[in-house]
Amino acid sequence: MKITLNNVMPVPLASIKHGENSIWGNETVLEPGKKIMLNAASGKGKSTFTFTTLGLRYDYDGTILYDSRNVRSFTPDEWTELRRNKISAVFQDLQLFPSLTVRENLLIKNNLTNCYTEEELQLQLKEVGIADKWDQQCGILSMGQQQRVAIIRALAQPYEWLIMDEPFSHLDAENTQLCLQLINKRTEELGAGFVLTTLGDDHQFSFDYTLNL
Amino acid sequence: MLRDLLFKNQDQRQLLIAVIGSFLGITFLVTSIHYLVKVNEFGRGSEILGPNTLIVQKRVNSGSMLGIAKTDFSESEIENMKKEKFISDVKPVISNNFDVSFQTNDPHVPYFRSDVFIQTVDPAFLDVKSEKWKWTEGDTLVPIILPRDFLVMLNTFMSANGIPQVSDELAMEIKFKFTISNSDKKEFFGAKIIGFTNEVPAILVPQSFMEYGNVNFSLGGDKKITQIMIAGEEKEFGLVEEYLVKHGLESKNSQMVVGRLKSIISTLIIVILGISVIAVFVSCLVLIQYLQLLMSRNTYEVRTLIRIGHHPKDIVRTFFIYFIKIFGLVSGAGLIVFYLFKLYLDKIFADGGLALGTTVSLLSLASLLTAFILFAFASYQTARKGVFREYSMK
Repeated sequence: MKITLNNVMPVPLASIKHGENSIWGNETVLEPGKKIMLNAASGKGKSTFTFTTLGLRYDYDGTILYDSRNVRSFTPDEWTELRRNKISAVFQDLQLFPSLTVRENLLIKNNLTNCYTEEELQLQLKEVGIADKWDQQCGILSMGQQQRVAIIRALAQPYEWLIMDEPFSHLDAENTQLCLQLINKRTEELGAGFVLTTLGDDHQFSFDYTLNL
Repeated sequence: MLRDLLFKNQDQRQLLIAVIGSFLGITFLVTSIHYLVKVNEFGRGSEILGPNTLIVQKRVNSGSMLGIAKTDFSESEIENMKKEKFISDVKPVISNNFDVSFQTNDPHVPYFRSDVFIQTVDPAFLDVKSEKWKWTEGDTLVPIILPRDFLVMLNTFMSANGIPQVSDELAMEIKFKFTISNSDKKEFFGAKIIGFTNEVPAILVPQSFMEYGNVNFSLGGDKKITQIMIAGEEKEFGLVEEYLVKHGLESKNSQMVVGRLKSIISTLIIVILGISVIAVFVSCLVLIQYLQLLMSRNTYEVRTLIRIGHHPKDIVRTFFIYFIKIFGLVSGAGLIVFYLFKLYLDKIFADGGLALGTTVSLLSLASLLTAFILFAFASYQTARKGVFREYSMK
């Protein structure tokens, strides 16, 4: 699925001066299967990019297309289908349920598509070093641990695109690498692409290309 | 899991108050509608005259005996009565203006003969099937409605002759004969009892038969209307009674007593019904507000569920089913308590001489179903509005 941003200018960012190569106000194509770094300083609209691309806010001029469909035209049924099978996300604020355990947070997503067994989910937790948190409430985990849960939850569905908004902001270099490997492996398996927004750090990963805001 | 997530943030005390309110409202609603129906049904079937019907005549006093006051009804008096909002219908009671004798005509029953007085009333006042209650010129058999007192008299006569007394059903099988005549001619007709009345003192015949007799066997002179039938509006019998007193009219006391009793009980039950409807409305409102509160507490959860791929409709369904279950339990409990309450109240009414029907009235069940449907609709709309508001938070 190709994602095209045609002269998109979010209303809150319209008064800010953007660079010539910014995705805001220009045509930008997210080519299928590519691994893209979205590089920007704070306040330039990284989260806005995530939300507009995912169809969670429409306060912008221009158009965003999934293949040739304007995202504004999708019905609730279509968005549900897309968010279950085509596009996944790691939000900057993680969007976990603090009152639920790690297990419940993962299953509440995984049960929609039955991507993994509980054992496979536990194995993924183990890979990123938080296997012992399986039955703990998310609300009492550290931000770094919660980020890892949010990443695994985002992987627990089929997708063509994975949009990640500063997913490693609370992780040390070692855990960042573990997570990035897990993400890359899963994305490769699915033949999908991802967009990773950062404050300039490429996390020693070889991206296909970089976009700027 | 979805349910665990969405219903974790509940204020159980508020829910309990809303549930108790709904339960009481539902119980009183079903009970009051049931008894309103049963009280209005009271007396139907046992009397061939329609419900809330009175036979009225002018009170006889010294003036009427001296010929100063009239005892008959004029057309204008009848028309004026019809204008009263608590009187649904007024019709004259027509009496015979010819000689009539009534006799047994059955080999199994001893001979009995008597001159009688017959009357006819508008069929609208009779609780009898029209195909049974008709006579056309040339018919040899006349359907009649017999005063129950007449049957008592007949039974007394039979008992005195050493013959077993007859029941209502058996009496309806006995063959009778009418002889109608004037000074010049006479004619015979068979007669068959099709029902009994406690309220009319004369044998009732179809209007067509009365017209035939009055035209062909008239004794001469104008027949005055001295009795009329009044159908009073349900629950307004007090006004009918007041009207009768004010205009110097009178009716058989038993008819008035039943009418008055039904009127009083119906009014009381309507008051309870009104309170119940308000209680159900308020408690449902509290439940719906509780749902709204629950949804506002779950704003984050609903929004996040939608973002990770849950369909808004599934979330609406989760809220809807939860509240339907609560109201279903409330309705079920209300129905059970109503039934137990009914057993107790039926006994109280029966002990008080008011033998109401014991079957559960369909209207009370329909009211419960209506309340349930309205609540289901309101809760679905509330849930849908709340969830889709989060969906549209672009």
